[in-house]
Amino acid sequence: MDNYTTLAKMFTEICILWFAYYGILIFARGTRGVYVLRGIILITALFIITKLLGFEIINWIFTKIFALSVLAFLIIFQQEIRRGLANIGQRRWTIFFLKESEIINEITTACFLLSKRKIGLLIAIERETRLENYIESGVEIDAKVNSELLITIFTPNTPLHDGGIVVSGERIAASGCLFPLTQNPKVSATLGTRHRAALGLSEETDAIVVVVSEETGGVSVAIGGRLTHDLDRESLERVLNNLYRPDKKNSKKI
Amino acid sequence: MNNWIINNFWIKVLSLILAVITWFYVNEELIREKQMAKQLYESSIVSQIQNPSYEKKPAK
Repeated sequence: MDNYTTLAKMFTEICILWFAYYGILIFARGTRGVYVLRGIILITALFIITKLLGFEIINWIFTKIFALSVLAFLIIFQQEIRRGLANIGQRRWTIFFLKESEIINEITTACFLLSKRKIGLLIAIERETRLENYIESGVEIDAKVNSELLITIFTPNTPLHDGGIVVSGERIAASGCLFPLTQNPKVSATLGTRHRAALGLSEETDAIVVVVSEETGGVSVAIGGRLTHDLDRESLERVLNNLYRPDKKNSKKI
Repeated sequence: MNNWIINNFWIKVLSLILAVITWFYVNEELIREKQMAKQLYESSIVSQIQNPSYEKKPAK
């Protein structure tokens, strides 16, 4: 009986640690902190290896580095820690009450209205990887996802029509955001900047990126570094439904 | 369910490895600390038994 309790405690503690590490890694993935985090993981691995091998001098140096690195960690990640703590209180819990179908419907409507008029559109829908870096590069909006607002934003010759929009949860987080262009040499040379930006963002994050071409009015979706061209309304809705709700049973990959 | 496992699979694996390493490392440290505390306690008892005058110094 005592053994079972010990095992259960061990299992629970490991699960809590797993959840915490996963949260930190996912949170850091969309930010500049990912490189620092990689460094920390490498130093920790070296620390463990030197300890196992019994290299006492090296281990002593690592111990001292660790003591200093706590302070350095707090300074380097000051912004991220503040944002993360604020998010725990605000955001993640509301995800259970999202009305995905409404959001998808608003996005799809905006896409096809703009497609008819051959007006370009670029929307990144945030999933697990945070898009804070890209939100920071644009103008904060924090408004409910609404097709009229999306159309207004992308109307040419308005201040926010350049760049992309980030949809985070059920809100339009920012517009005029700059996304990284794909560096993939295999990508067709005829592909425009908007599509390259969509591909670039989808390569770096797990976001769903919807693009409307200014030239052809074609609607495309980029995910995981792959672009699917010329979707009709039903296909776009189906793709968004499947990808925006990952726990859905009939989900499939594109 | 399938997507839930596949999404960010390598991050999940990495975080699990880190969690297991952390748990075993901290557990080992805690055991060592307990053993050291026990040894200190026992050695102080032994020294008291071997040298009873150590504790009971006559008051001046």
